[in-house]
Amino acid sequence: MQPKVKKNLLTTSAHIGLLIASAFFLVPFLWMVSTSLKPVTQIFTYPPEFIPNPFQWSNYIEATEYIPFFTYLSNTAIITVLSTIGVMLSCPLVAYSFAKLEWTGRNTMFIITIAVMMIPMQVTMIPLFLLFNKVGWVGTPLPLIVPAFFGVPFSIFLMRQFFMGLPNTLRDAAKIDGASEFRIYWQIMLPLAKPAVLAVGLFQFMNVWTDFIGPLLYLTDESQYTLSLGLQQFQSQKGTEWGLMMAVSTMMTLPIIILFFFMQRTFIQGITFSGIK
Amino acid sequence: MKKMEQSDQALVEEGMEASIKKKSKISGSSINGWLFASPWVIGLILFYAFPLFSSIYYSFTTYSILSPGEFIGFSNYKQLMVDGIFWKSIYNTVYFAIFFVPLSIIIGVALAMLLNMRVKGMAVYRTIFFLPTLVPHVALAVLWMWLLNPGFGLVNGVLDAIGLTGPNWLGSVTWSKPSLILMSLWAIGQPVIIYLAGLGDIPQELYEAADVDGASWLQKTFKVTLPLLTPVIFFNLVMGAIGAFQQFTLPYTMTQGQGTPDNSLTFYVMYLYDNAFKYSKMGYASAMAWILFIVIMLLTAVIFISSKRWVHYQGK
Amino acid sequence: MSNSIFHKLMFSFCLVLVMVLAACSSDDEASESASGENTVEFWHSMTDTAGDAVEQVIEEFEKEYPDIDIKATYVANQGEGQNEKLLTAIAGGNPPDVAYFDRFEVATWAAEGSLESLTDLAEEAGISKDDYYDFAWDELIYEGDLYGIPTTTDSRLLFYNRDHFEEVGLDPENPPTTIDELEEAAEKLTIKDGNRFERIGFIPWFAQGSFYSWGWSFGGDFYDPETGEVTADDPKNVEALEWITEFGKKYGVEDIAGFTDSQGSGAMDPFVSGQISMKIDGNFGVASLEKFAPDLNYGVTPIPTPTGDNFKTWSGGWSVVIPKGANNQDGAWEFLKFFGSEEGQKIFSEGSRDFSVIDSVNESLGYTDDPIFSEFINILPESNSRPVMTAGSLYWNALADAVESSTRENGTPKENLEEVTQRVTEALEE
Repeated sequence: MQPKVKKNLLTTSAHIGLLIASAFFLVPFLWMVSTSLKPVTQIFTYPPEFIPNPFQWSNYIEATEYIPFFTYLSNTAIITVLSTIGVMLSCPLVAYSFAKLEWTGRNTMFIITIAVMMIPMQVTMIPLFLLFNKVGWVGTPLPLIVPAFFGVPFSIFLMRQFFMGLPNTLRDAAKIDGASEFRIYWQIMLPLAKPAVLAVGLFQFMNVWTDFIGPLLYLTDESQYTLSLGLQQFQSQKGTEWGLMMAVSTMMTLPIIILFFFMQRTFIQGITFSGIK
Repeated sequence: MKKMEQSDQALVEEGMEASIKKKSKISGSSINGWLFASPWVIGLILFYAFPLFSSIYYSFTTYSILSPGEFIGFSNYKQLMVDGIFWKSIYNTVYFAIFFVPLSIIIGVALAMLLNMRVKGMAVYRTIFFLPTLVPHVALAVLWMWLLNPGFGLVNGVLDAIGLTGPNWLGSVTWSKPSLILMSLWAIGQPVIIYLAGLGDIPQELYEAADVDGASWLQKTFKVTLPLLTPVIFFNLVMGAIGAFQQFTLPYTMTQGQGTPDNSLTFYVMYLYDNAFKYSKMGYASAMAWILFIVIMLLTAVIFISSKRWVHYQGK
Repeated sequence: MSNSIFHKLMFSFCLVLVMVLAACSSDDEASESASGENTVEFWHSMTDTAGDAVEQVIEEFEKEYPDIDIKATYVANQGEGQNEKLLTAIAGGNPPDVAYFDRFEVATWAAEGSLESLTDLAEEAGISKDDYYDFAWDELIYEGDLYGIPTTTDSRLLFYNRDHFEEVGLDPENPPTTIDELEEAAEKLTIKDGNRFERIGFIPWFAQGSFYSWGWSFGGDFYDPETGEVTADDPKNVEALEWITEFGKKYGVEDIAGFTDSQGSGAMDPFVSGQISMKIDGNFGVASLEKFAPDLNYGVTPIPTPTGDNFKTWSGGWSVVIPKGANNQDGAWEFLKFFGSEEGQKIFSEGSRDFSVIDSVNESLGYTDDPIFSEFINILPESNSRPVMTAGSLYWNALADAVESSTRENGTPKENLEEVTQRVTEALEE
């Protein structure tokens, strides 16, 4: 009886703590949604009003007509999905070699991997552009997709940390059984690192989905534009169409929210359920 | 216990002496290693090598993107040493990093542990904590200006209710950076996800064993959870430091690139950006980039070397 | 430049590798740019009404020049010191044929050799300074050569809320003309509650109250194009900044910042919501007032000066330019000419409600009959453009810094302006 009461108390207090904290974290999102439903005159009132009056659902329709929303959406989706696949294929593989394999030059390579993140992209983006320009990739989505298949330092580093944390016993056992290195990776280690692979995929998805500077530089035809470029079109010299802009922002965030909602389950399943025994 | 070759300190030492020391492993495993790493090795050469070397070269020139400029040796670096705004931006950036990085780790781990409890509706809670990372920066900036407005803002309204007079957050030189730190902490979703994934990787048996030993919650946290979470804490520390030193988007959108009030929000990369794209001084900006590189590199080296003492890998 | 051998080797190496990849992907889109026989690629950053107006200009142009096809592309972040895309396109040798371009930056880009000179073409076509406002033309001249055709302009005046004036017993027909009157009016109009402004009469640096506005109004100057001397610390400028600093001190700089931080343009404008009674703003402010507060009872008047005469203002605006290396320069020039012609200007100005750079067009569109717009047009002959120099952006930011520092009592106005002079002079010498 005692432990049960204690447990109930714990869950109740957890709920209360979570509820209070969530209120704080929910504000920006709610604000975005509420702005997306407000008529122009109500957006900036003092003190701010949270509930739209009346609910202007037409903002959403207007927003999708103001910019070619569905074209931009499918462009964004194609680029994002492909580059996410790229990262999820390449990064765990590379990270595995950094974490579990021993090879000459490994540590030097790893240090270089970390080091390339320390130079701000503001100075490297021009030479990179010139490179892509020379091979005629400017004006195509290729520069936004192809590099992901060769690995992204952030994701490699993250995956490496996860592989380092996995016990070696399984690997050794498989080795004795004569399994090839790739088989060990593919059939044993990769499934164990599933939460991390998904996290890496999610981050890549988010980053590419909202990336602004990449599409700005490399896409030259309006029919190729992405949503983050479309978002800018609501800002003009005469002011910003906040309601419409927030409507698009809201629609932009929904796919990630849904993705995250379904993905986060794998975190809690964790290692005990992925067949370590 | 753990062998040295698995620790990150060894890594730094070895890396620095290049790879003279050959492990007594068969060369077959070396081939495997390179094979596994080959996509990245190629990617590094293709997409990183040229831009990086170019920017080193640019830092010794008056390159302006539009024209190649002249080779001027260390002039850019010398000039930076006497540039008032350069130093101001360093101060702002270091200030931000010192407070933001540790805070983001403490709060991030705490939140992740809270979100890792088996409570009903956890999926919803997790999603909520993740939401602020998804709101576009433009919207976030405006929202914060409202919340922190000294006259009408919610924050000062709450402080008022408990009898405190809130400061003029974003309008005051003293409070603008703390305000920014607060804002940045809001978007902590990404590290929290990483911690969550890390928590999911901790074998349940360890807790079961601890339960058998009658360990308290606190003991389990400090003896099991935190030590096994150190590989990801380490990751977030390194990435947090790199990210903090490259802080750009939020203050840039919020102050329309001006770093107001009185340059108190002019961060290093903001000033770098102005030089590169507004003042046609890409060479100067590249010099700034490499100074930043050296600073972060040193800092990261310290983190790596210290990591031997506190990062515990389960492997081996 | 033998130092760059390694650099070049590195580049070629990467290039070969990427090319191998490119070959594998065999993309034929790359050659697309050369497809159109007489296509003019045009990059602009206009949306909303201006976007519609430019479309009309293009439509009319294509009607008159059926063999030329304009391919207009919206480019985010073009202008106002954020030209990443245009920069990279020019650096990569693959720019559009025409770019809509902030005149303010023409000198800097021309100095880098990134814009095509239009001097000969203009001469041939008989286009000259006489067709446009002087300042608009001058802003496009760098070292004697012409680098663009002006398209729009603006000017800055003092906006004041007539209802507020009546409420506190000021005469809405006689708005302030001297600095003293301005200060007096501001004091009467301000309602402060603790450290919070219920309403503030005036903030010198709010909206378009940049230091250029004040320096010129106080009789100062910023640059001598003849000698190339930077004069940010002109005694008159120092006087202006001292006044601004005093003003800030009187009302509390931080309190003002708290007020302005939650404000913005468009519907966010505190002038729209009646929280500020007077502001310096441009004619573009009128459009947003029409949109968000059509019933607001307000007037405009020249920016007050210490003496109550010699009113000054400054104008910015846009232009169309041909980036260096453009493929179709002939077609581009035809479009430039049309955009800058009376016909093109009329279409664009009518649609966008931006002022034309041609006086007669503004007149024919009825801007001079409009009680508000006419004030803006009338002051244009007295208007200045910001200094035409290669360090224009730096100068702008440095002046903004000087105002910030001075009002925050971080150095005296004189010291801060001397520093600006020094910084900009150094940048020019490079």
